[in-house]
Amino acid sequence: MSDAHNYTSDENPYLPKPARIIRTLPQILDHQLFQIRFEKEEMINNFTYRPGQFVMLSVIGTGEAPFSISSSPTRPGIIELCVRRIGHVTNALFKLPPNAPVGIRGPYGNGFPLDKLEGNNLLLVAGGLGMAPLRSLLRYALDNRSKFKDVILMYGARNPDDMLFKYELLELIEQPDVKCLLTVDTDNSGMWKAHVGVVTTLFDHAEIDPNNTYAAICGPEIMFKYVLEELLKRNFSKNRILMSLERNMQCGVGKCGHCMVGYKYTCLDGPIFNYWDAINLPEMV
Amino acid sequence: MKIITLPKENFAEFVGHLCSFGEIHAPIKRGDRSFVFAPVKDASEIELDCVRTILPLKKYFFRPMEVMFNFCAGEGYEIPSEVTDKRIVVFGAHPCDIHGLNILDMVFNGRYVDTYYLARKSKAAIIGLDCIPDDLCFCRSTRTDFVDTGFDLFLSDIGDKYLVRVGTSLGDDMVRAAESLFYEVQKEDRDAYKRKSIERRESFKTEIQLQDLPGIMDLEYESQVWQDVGETCLSCGTCSMVCPTCYCYSVFDELDLDGSSGRRKRRWDCCLFKDYALVAGGHNFRAKRSSRVKNRYFHKQRGFVSLYGRPSCVGCGRCKAQCPSGIDIVDVITKLRSETRV
Amino acid sequence: MSSKPKIGIYGLTGCAGDQLVILNCEDELLDIVGATDIRSFPMAMSGGDENCPLDIVFIDGTVVQPKDEEMLKRLRERANLLIAVGTCAVWGGVPAMENKFSREEVKKRVYGPTGDLFKTITPQPLSSFVKVDLSISGCPIEKEQLLQAVASLLHGDLPRLPNYAVCTECKMAEYPCLLIEKGHLCLGPITVAGCKARCPSYGRPCIGCRGPVEEANISSEVRLLKEKGFTPSDIQNRLRTFAGAADSLQMESLKEGTNA
Repeated sequence: MSDAHNYTSDENPYLPKPARIIRTLPQILDHQLFQIRFEKEEMINNFTYRPGQFVMLSVIGTGEAPFSISSSPTRPGIIELCVRRIGHVTNALFKLPPNAPVGIRGPYGNGFPLDKLEGNNLLLVAGGLGMAPLRSLLRYALDNRSKFKDVILMYGARNPDDMLFKYELLELIEQPDVKCLLTVDTDNSGMWKAHVGVVTTLFDHAEIDPNNTYAAICGPEIMFKYVLEELLKRNFSKNRILMSLERNMQCGVGKCGHCMVGYKYTCLDGPIFNYWDAINLPEMV
Repeated sequence: MKIITLPKENFAEFVGHLCSFGEIHAPIKRGDRSFVFAPVKDASEIELDCVRTILPLKKYFFRPMEVMFNFCAGEGYEIPSEVTDKRIVVFGAHPCDIHGLNILDMVFNGRYVDTYYLARKSKAAIIGLDCIPDDLCFCRSTRTDFVDTGFDLFLSDIGDKYLVRVGTSLGDDMVRAAESLFYEVQKEDRDAYKRKSIERRESFKTEIQLQDLPGIMDLEYESQVWQDVGETCLSCGTCSMVCPTCYCYSVFDELDLDGSSGRRKRRWDCCLFKDYALVAGGHNFRAKRSSRVKNRYFHKQRGFVSLYGRPSCVGCGRCKAQCPSGIDIVDVITKLRSETRV
Repeated sequence: MSSKPKIGIYGLTGCAGDQLVILNCEDELLDIVGATDIRSFPMAMSGGDENCPLDIVFIDGTVVQPKDEEMLKRLRERANLLIAVGTCAVWGGVPAMENKFSREEVKKRVYGPTGDLFKTITPQPLSSFVKVDLSISGCPIEKEQLLQAVASLLHGDLPRLPNYAVCTECKMAEYPCLLIEKGHLCLGPITVAGCKARCPSYGRPCIGCRGPVEEANISSEVRLLKEKGFTPSDIQNRLRTFAGAADSLQMESLKEGTNA
């Protein structure tokens, strides 16, 4: 094999690129938006990605974990990751001091198929932390507004205090070029001005043409189920329903095996799958 | 392909020449009736009749545990130099072993290249040797009983000689380094090879039908077989460790007491472990052992076909030979198939 | 933990072998002492502070006497993180081997009339009494695991210790299987790894000294051992030696295919 594989490349895909957390913006309880910048100018300038892609973030000494990117490639220079404090790596991440060094590899995964999405209406349906990857697509669409027809966001949270990117999204309600529908399951504050009810109730407030629309869904499993029902009821083609899936990932590059579902690697072939692919993969939904 | 012969009386001398191409590793005995690939000084140590070693050849290129890089505060990351250092010559790789490596080559190449695996692989010469199957071998069913790529040299026993196929330029260098030991192929050599080939083919005792298995696996997704195997399986990880094509690994950081330097490591992982598909926050996509067992078979026989165009099982029999609770892949597949026939 | 974390190292009833492992970290002991503020380590030093709050307390041994229970609860109150060190602390260890007999019966058998001089309770691991933040099992613990745990704790993380079976490490090291090749009563498939299969490396079967691996399939292990000709009492005795207090190792209550 020696001459067949005369290995010369020094590109090691597992080596994180040095970066720093330049700012941390608290969101809701146990959720923060981390703004991260690469150390090297070359990386800052060349790093680009598609909405829906993810990076592997290292807290050196603790470990590495995948995070979907919440910022948009239309605003280069800084990567934003919206993180829930939930496990080994995120616990350590939340404890880091300002300006702490971290490692970033990526971007990985397929991301949303922008070439297919362009020229269509976009319907984004998010629940809970599912807003993290969809915020990237939302910002991308608003920054490239002419490339898309109607842009509709439906986002549900348990209550107003649980809504990610709340102020930024509330501002969008007034904006004419996007239909921003926000809802909460319950509102005890009495201050909530938008909708109350589960996210599927928002479907009554928007006109959606299934033939010219791509739906992108991200949220908890139970939400997937009801939103899918709603979309299928409206005759959405399964190929026009896109979902972002979560799995255990340890390499991000299709080797370590953990994210394998049926015959797809979530890290290479996903994390964005269309619904047809998803129902053909055992264990997927 | 260049084909020559090596008389058996020249074998030991040929092995002697090989050390100039790297440290020679070949099957030797360990325990009462087990074998392992390990360094040998000369031909007399080599167990030529070894059917299967405990671990397959992946151990040389994809280590059970390895340092991916060292880290140190303020100094960044440093890849250990060991990765690219040493040349080895692996002697006595059977066709299924070589197929196993060819499959790992596919996995570790691709869009992203696993530099650790490939760096080591590029420093190794592979010399194949054919074998007589035992009761557990089913490489004929997996079509891995013959190999035509992935070796530098391949030796087939044809009586008092070896027929030697030269697979690469490095293989040719090894032959040239001991040119006087080799001979041109004669008619009786060709006849002997063909005779042996039939003999070998007829000595297989285990056979399963695999061609249409992906479809049957889809059909039997809810089969009781998975529940039964789930009850027997110990989740001990043995089958994955000894499988030539299991490539899953787990990554973790190890810190020194100074709290700032340390290393990122990876170790072989196994999809039968409880936390294999566990995500942060506690959701386990395969909480039940039966679902993990099913996933393992599914990946080997169904998923890998879609990904890489062939099943990843090479029929070496190691998982059966080493399973403490006696789970037999051939038995499991046969049960799945017969259920379909009913 | 911005300043050096305050640490206590204590032992309940037991052989103190795990504390000894800490003391035996000769090359690293100075680093540990340098990175931490060891407030109390009765086995190794006198004049410890027995009242201060602690960031981390390491405890080996089993709760066997009422005073163990009192001490344990007191330490729990003092400490932010409580680490069970060694199989005794994690699983009850050897003291819990005879837990199916009454305490009085065992005491009489072992001590005769002198047994009346002291009180014992059914030996139990620390987790039966208090919340345990991290368990480092082993009889004794592995030095490498201890050091990694300390490094992680100093870094503010809990370490990730192996949660797979001894078989995995045994095969990684390419030792012949003692169950298959020798028919030994080996507990490798159900015992948690971390020892690098030390016993099998010497041709000796695993006797389960590190305690059961999470979700161990005991019923399958028992079945395969019976098939090799071992009697239920051979098997039960071996299962009970180090982790008699572990529910999963009680043969009488074995459920077929738990979590299959």
